[in-house]
Amino acid sequence: METVLQITANGLMLGGLYAMISVGLTLIFGITRVINFAHGEFLMVGMYIVYLITTQLGVHPYASLLLVVPALFVMGALTQKLVIERLRNSDEHVQIFATVGLSIALINLALLIFGADIANTPSSGLRHSVGVGTVGVLTGQLVIFFSSIVLVVGLHLLLTRTRPGRAIRATAQNRAAARLMGINVSRVYVLTFGLGAACVGVAATLVAPLYPASPTIGTYFVLIAFVVVVMGGLGSITGAFIAALVIGLVDAFAGYYLGSDLKEVAVFGIFLLVLIFRPSGLFGARRNLSHVSP
Amino acid sequence: MSKSRSMFRYAAIGLTSALALGAGAGAAHAEVKFGALYPFSGQLALLGEESARGLELAVDQINSEGGVQGEQVTLVKGDAVDNNQAIGEARRLIAREGVKAIFGTYSSSRSIAASQVAELSRIPYFELGAVAEKVTGRDLAYLYRTNPTAKDMARTIVDMIVESVAPELDKDPEELRIGIIHEDSSYGSSVAEFENKYAEEAGLNVVAEQAYPASTVDMSSIVLRLKEKNVDVVLQTSYQNDSVLFLRQADEENYDPKAIIGGGGGYSMEPTAEAVGADVIEGVLDADFTQYNVNPEFAPGVKEFVEDYKAKYDSAPRSGHSLNNYAGAMALLHAIDDADGFGPDEIREAVDAIDIPMGETAAGYGVKFGENNQNTRAKMMGMQWQDGELVTVFPEEAAVSELKLQD
Repeated sequence: METVLQITANGLMLGGLYAMISVGLTLIFGITRVINFAHGEFLMVGMYIVYLITTQLGVHPYASLLLVVPALFVMGALTQKLVIERLRNSDEHVQIFATVGLSIALINLALLIFGADIANTPSSGLRHSVGVGTVGVLTGQLVIFFSSIVLVVGLHLLLTRTRPGRAIRATAQNRAAARLMGINVSRVYVLTFGLGAACVGVAATLVAPLYPASPTIGTYFVLIAFVVVVMGGLGSITGAFIAALVIGLVDAFAGYYLGSDLKEVAVFGIFLLVLIFRPSGLFGARRNLSHVSP
Repeated sequence: MSKSRSMFRYAAIGLTSALALGAGAGAAHAEVKFGALYPFSGQLALLGEESARGLELAVDQINSEGGVQGEQVTLVKGDAVDNNQAIGEARRLIAREGVKAIFGTYSSSRSIAASQVAELSRIPYFELGAVAEKVTGRDLAYLYRTNPTAKDMARTIVDMIVESVAPELDKDPEELRIGIIHEDSSYGSSVAEFENKYAEEAGLNVVAEQAYPASTVDMSSIVLRLKEKNVDVVLQTSYQNDSVLFLRQADEENYDPKAIIGGGGGYSMEPTAEAVGADVIEGVLDADFTQYNVNPEFAPGVKEFVEDYKAKYDSAPRSGHSLNNYAGAMALLHAIDDADGFGPDEIREAVDAIDIPMGETAAGYGVKFGENNQNTRAKMMGMQWQDGELVTVFPEEAAVSELKLQD
């Protein structure tokens, strides 16, 4: 029983981590319809910034939020402005390859600057174990879990209650109609891409004290992030959160009962089943076909 | 008429022989070229370059001793960024640069690819650092390997458990419950396979085995499983990310096995110790290439090597790769010095004759090529993290400190 509780706790913490990383990806995809393959590398860049700030200035890793989030926002916005927007009238594949190219460039840039070794952000007490009875989790993991809830709720409020949020949703629903209503569509895209990347900035700040950064760290997380985004229903933020928790739990239980080499079979098996029975994902709306309109 | 013609002929012969002599004298001053094929850029650049430095230092030393067969050695670098480029660079070194032999390669897959090119051109290929079993044993006549392999790593780990770990814990080796975990690429899988094999031969009790992908971000379920099965000795073969993850998560879930033994990779690297903290890594064991904290009587020349390294590169060696490349290259270059020329078969003959006993190279192990041209005397060393440093503890003659385990 204790073991089951511990596995559940581990699964939920892992789910929170996956949610944290996936939220930005689903936001960008849901609105701009661009599949950002450089998402993991945004995370990697964020983690290196956290590493540099904490080791150079000696501050608590969370303090670097103030710099990492704006930095990632700018990075995302520039990606949209300088790369994606220029390809707006090209084939979707071209946009995908542009982000793949960006991903490869960023990985190799990190290799050039930091080398292949790991860069370890001081954990500043965030690897401290807390818990009830024999069930324990790390404080840093708890922070990630609750922050992911706050982030999801915050984004939801932003999208439903504010003017820019409404403009973003209008653009997602129908690009042409939104433009007719006087919305500056390309500015909305830049804003959304920046916002999605800023979410990755939050994730990077919280993840860095728990995982050492390396040039390829993004690739470790990004595959699961894509699974979460698709399973949750492309573009659905709540869906991504629920899907992340499901994947986290499946990962933890399968890892214990089936073994670590087989856990991905369980994760991707469930993913396949969801796609077969609910092709638009757990929370995917069928109406969302705006990308076919010009 | 005929006389003057024959005079002319003699003059011509004299002239050509003078030219030939001149050319011969020129050749004596000329240099002999060897290829240095390593990944100098890309993902593997760090340890690829570190490996190449060992070869460079060996060549410097040989040249200062008068070169090989009286000729100065020039190294021509080839950058083996990936398998395809390894092949391309091997071709360039052989065809355009005219190297007499190639030294390399650190990466097993690059070595396997490039050595086939060399074999076709009948150019000796000397592998000084790639550990995969598959590098040798492909019926290549001109491929030799000086360094120990995945098999030797497993051998050292099992020997260390039987001869040192069990006595230190006051237990019979059979009593210990052993768990093997490894990343699931060919590196981790092949070491684990040999660990299983030798453990069985030694009568050890392996109670758990678990593979996992190296890109894993959570190992808590592995820790839980090892805990449930009361594993006393954990053997992990891993890269850096997963070494850090396992050591941290085991610590955080209060899993405290009697011994943890790593198989090189992340376990030999300073950043791993920094990441998990000195108290967590304290006492962790590791089997790998010979490192610098080794008994200099067993590894004569290791101190001088470190001095030369610092003088040339202005930093301390970053890993044991350079030392092992250096030791292998020294043995080979001395042999080539004794050969009757630089033809592939003369070099082979000289290299086949190498017979250096244990404890007479800077890496400690001896050199004698056996089946498949693998160095039969190559050995991995057993090391332990003590007070933040990786020190050699096994075998006894190489040790600088005693193997200590708390219980």
